Amino acid sequence: MNIQELEKKAREIRATCVQMACDGKEGHLSSSLGYVDVLVALYCGWLKIFPKEPGNPNRDRFILSKGHGCASLYAMLADRGFFSPSMLADYNREGSCLPNHPCLHALPLLEMSSGSLGHGLGVATGILYGLRLRGSGARAVVLLGDGECNEGSVWESATFAAAHHLDRLLAVVDYNGIQAVGKSDEIMGHTSLEEKFRSFGWGAVTIDGSDMKSVVAALVRFPFEKGKPSVIIAKTKMGVSFMENDVLWHYRKPSEEERLKALAELDARPIYGVRS
Amino acid sequence: MRRSFASAVCRAAEKDPAVMFLTGDLGYQVFDEFIAKFGPRYVNAGIAEAQMVAMAAGLAKEGFRPIIYSIASFMTARPFEQLRVCVSYPDYPVLIIGAGGGYTYSSGGITHHAGDDLALMSLLPGMTVTAPCDPLEIGVLLPQLLKLKGPAYMRIGKFGEPEVRCAEPAVLGRARQLAPGARVALVTTGALAAVAQEAVAVLGREGITPSLYHFHTVKPLDTAVLERITAEAGAVIVLEESSPLGGLASAIANWMAFGGHSARLIRLGTPDSFLLGNPSRETVVERHGYGKQAIMDACRAAWQQAV
Repeated sequence: MNIQELEKKAREIRATCVQMACDGKEGHLSSSLGYVDVLVALYCGWLKIFPKEPGNPNRDRFILSKGHGCASLYAMLADRGFFSPSMLADYNREGSCLPNHPCLHALPLLEMSSGSLGHGLGVATGILYGLRLRGSGARAVVLLGDGECNEGSVWESATFAAAHHLDRLLAVVDYNGIQAVGKSDEIMGHTSLEEKFRSFGWGAVTIDGSDMKSVVAALVRFPFEKGKPSVIIAKTKMGVSFMENDVLWHYRKPSEEERLKALAELDARPIYGVRS
Repeated sequence: MRRSFASAVCRAAEKDPAVMFLTGDLGYQVFDEFIAKFGPRYVNAGIAEAQMVAMAAGLAKEGFRPIIYSIASFMTARPFEQLRVCVSYPDYPVLIIGAGGGYTYSSGGITHHAGDDLALMSLLPGMTVTAPCDPLEIGVLLPQLLKLKGPAYMRIGKFGEPEVRCAEPAVLGRARQLAPGARVALVTTGALAAVAQEAVAVLGREGITPSLYHFHTVKPLDTAVLERITAEAGAVIVLEESSPLGGLASAIANWMAFGGHSARLIRLGTPDSFLLGNPSRETVVERHGYGKQAIMDACRAAWQQAV
C-alpha cells in the first residue's frame, strides 16, 4: 500500500473503533485510536503475517502490551482476515472472543493475554531469545503505552533485551501524553523516554506517530542500530479533533451524536455492519 | 539438595533440548556443569525476577521448558503477578524453583524468610506445588515435573540434607508412606520428613507406632491417601514449616472439614507472624515447637488420647 492507501486504512480502523466503543459500550478510545497509524503500517506491509495460518512459526510476533487499547488491534486483525469483521460486533460482550482486555483463551491467535501493564516486553524477550536459539529470523513488536512505562518491569526487560543484543525486537511507545488520571509528562517528571531507552542500550527515535510518512520511514530503518533492540517513541493523536488530549476519552463511550460527528470527520465507515 | 538439583537439571537437559535454566543471579559455581554443557540454554537474568518470569513465559510459549531459579522469597512473592498473568493464566509449563523455602534462611532475616511460598503458589490455578524431602527425591520428581503440561513449583532446601528412607517410589501427586503404624498419623512435607522419621524410630522403641506420611506434593492434594489416613487414625498430626494459612495443614483441614472427616487434627509448625530477631534455624524450630522432641511429645499425647 502507498501512503494514501495506508492513511485511508487508518481512518477506516478508527471509524471501526468508534463504532465498537458504541456497540460494546466500552470506552478506552484514547488508548485505542492513537496508535492506529503505527498498527496499520505494521500490519499492512511491515509484519510478516499469515492470517490463514496464524500459528506459522515464521510469523513476526506482535504483542499488545497495553491490553486496554485492544479495540484497534481487533479491528486490524479482522481487516487482515484473521477472523470475520462481523465478529467485531461482539466486542466486550459477555463470553465474546473479543473481551475488553485481550485473552488468549478467548482468541487463541493472540501471542499473549494482556490487561495488566508491564509484561509484554519481558515475554517478547523470551520469545526472541528462544527463536534465536532455534535459528529463526522472526521479529517481535511490542506496543507499549507511555503510562505503561511507569512500570519498573518495563525497565528490567529493557535492560535484558539490550544486554542480550535482541536486535529483532521493536518496541513502540504510544505516547499519547495521557494516563488514566493525569498527563504522563507530569507523572514522569518531564523526562525523555527516548533518552532513557538510549541509556539502556537501545536504538531510539521519536516521531510524529500520527503522520503515516514518518511511521513508515521509521519502520524502514529498523533495526536502528546493529546489535541493539529498537524503540519508536510515537507521539500520537487520536485522529478525532473533539476527542484530542482529554483524559475523559480514556473512559467515555461516544453518544450517538458524537459517533456521527466522529465518523463524518474521519470520512470513513466501520469495516463491519452494525447489528440491529 | 542444591547439588542433587543441579545434576538432575543437567540430566533433564541432556534428554530434552527444550530444557532451559534461568537464574535470578543465584547459584555461584553450582551450575558450572550445565553452563559448560549447554551454553546459551543457561541464562542469568540478573536480579530481575519479574523479567525472568516473563521471559520464561515467552520461552515456554515457543515450546521450551524453562526452569527458573531464585531464593524462594524472591521467586514467589516478588514476581507474583508475573507468575499469575504470564505463566499461570496461559498455563505454560514453567518449572519454578524456590531455593531455601520456608525458613531455610532464618538467620537472614524477614526478607529471606519464605514461610508463605507454598501458600502463594497454591493460590495459582493449575499450579502443581511440591516440597521434596531429600536430594534423592528431587532427582526422581524433577523429570516428572518437566512432563507436566502446566506450571509447577518446587521448594528446595540448601546443602547437605539427610536422606529419608522409603520403600515406595516418589510419584508426583501421591504421598509416600515412610512408616507403617496405627492410631495416630504423622503427616509432613519437605525436609521435615527426615526429622519425623527419626522421631518415629525413637517412639517405636517405646511401643508407640504412629504411621508417617510424606506429602512431597502439596497441590494437588493426595486425597486418596487422606481417606485412608482419616479412616485408620483417630488423630492426624501435620508437621510443616509454612504459614498456617495456605500450607499443607490448611489444605488438609479444608479437605477434612468440607468432606466431613472427623479425625482430630493437630498442627506443629511456624506461626502466622514475622519471625524477628534473625533466629537460627534451630531456634525457630525450638521456639515454635516442631523439632524432634516436640514431634515425639505430640505423638505420645495423641497416642494416649486416641485409644
